[in-house]
Amino acid sequence: MSDFHNRSQTSARRSDYVWQYEYYDDEEPVSFEGLKAHRYSIVIGFWVGLAVFVIFMFFVLTLLTKTGAPHQENPDSVEKRHRPGSCLVDIDGHQDENDKAFSRPLLAGSRSYFNFYINEEDKAGVHQQLTGLIEQSKSDRECTFLSHFNIPNFVNLDHSSTLGEDDLLYEPSAILERQSKSHDKDYPAC
Amino acid sequence: MNDSIMNHSDCPEVVVPNPVFFTIGAVSFAENVLVVVAIIWNRKLHLPMYCFICSLAAFHTIASLTKTWENLMIVFANVGHLEKKGSSETTLDDVIDSLLCMSFLGSFFSILAIAVDRYITIFHALRYHNIMTMQRTGAVLGVIWTVCGGLAVLLIWFFHFKLIMIIFVMLFFICLVIICFLYVYMFMLARSHARKIAALRWGSNMRGALTVTILFGTFVVCWAPFFFHLVIIMMCPTNPYCECYRSLFQLHVVLLMSHALFDPAIYAFRIAELRHTLRKMLFCSDWKLCS
Repeated sequence: MSDFHNRSQTSARRSDYVWQYEYYDDEEPVSFEGLKAHRYSIVIGFWVGLAVFVIFMFFVLTLLTKTGAPHQENPDSVEKRHRPGSCLVDIDGHQDENDKAFSRPLLAGSRSYFNFYINEEDKAGVHQQLTGLIEQSKSDRECTFLSHFNIPNFVNLDHSSTLGEDDLLYEPSAILERQSKSHDKDYPAC
Repeated sequence: MNDSIMNHSDCPEVVVPNPVFFTIGAVSFAENVLVVVAIIWNRKLHLPMYCFICSLAAFHTIASLTKTWENLMIVFANVGHLEKKGSSETTLDDVIDSLLCMSFLGSFFSILAIAVDRYITIFHALRYHNIMTMQRTGAVLGVIWTVCGGLAVLLIWFFHFKLIMIIFVMLFFICLVIICFLYVYMFMLARSHARKIAALRWGSNMRGALTVTILFGTFVVCWAPFFFHLVIIMMCPTNPYCECYRSLFQLHVVLLMSHALFDPAIYAFRIAELRHTLRKMLFCSDWKLCS
């Protein structure tokens, strides 16, 4: 009699199942008879799916690096490259980026932007060139204010393996910080 | 006889020892408090991007404090000092749950705000300073904190409605999709720029892909199990396979807490200025010399 009462109570509870935050009180006994697959099959399936998703995303990203991004050059993207925020120098082919970045004067018109690769050995020589280039550039204002914020860390791409901490791709160089200290007053504090 | 059969489960709940919770809580609290203090202390870090990182660290601080508090209460309840079903304990439990919910929602929105800020930095760099002023940043943070607080209270008060849980899960998936899209798009632009530069090296190419994978992968791996748990509870509360998944709840909560542990390493500690500030704060006893 009491068993029947318990069972009816259990089925009544099951029909209006209320999820409580007290997860330590498991009042819903579940029957484990007649399971066809392994008990933890959902758990295993979930984690395998998650791992596959993350690894797939990683491979898609590395494939993009091999074959090139679908974001190809077009008239719209040329406009984007006008922005010195990108701060990349336009270099042809297979020349050494350190030499070309700083020997080529910045163009006043289109496609004028910096590449902030700085080698430790070149820092001194580059300093004067950079100063000159900054002053020449139409967009030096934008370039110097860019030193105030870290463009996302993840774009610490190329040459980071060899240059290590000296690779200041997209991060404010010490030189530019000196240049931009005068702009510090322009920016309101938090 | 029947009772013992009914109470026995082939998937017993996996119990994580309390010291693990306390350790993770303490370490993540320490990390995030340091990040918040460093960003507030150093005036050079008073910029929109760092404000969002500070907000993320603040939410994680609240989360680790609240979770540690909850663990303490559970320990006391198990020992017998607290009554599990008492009215004051239930109210306190609701408050803790609201705070936890608020901090979890807040960390989603902060991570989303960081991704949007980075997106604007890359794609609207010239107008960045006009778009992302400190006033707007303050307003955005105010909205995030208010919405999270309000949502958290609503979610906990009305948690017995399935709709609320569905909304919570949908919110997570929408945030996930937006963050994924933003980062992949930024990555694609970075690659298209880098392609124009000569001598791309394979090792360094991998690093960008790895960074985005880590950023996004950590978020997914830490959060997805918990949300899948919510989905399972809604969809199959009596299914034995689902029961086995639900028995791992404490492991999933450990993963949630470890998200607060990993986030400073992924976002905050990668900023050179912040590392420099932390070094000054922690290792420099004489501040006059160090400034």
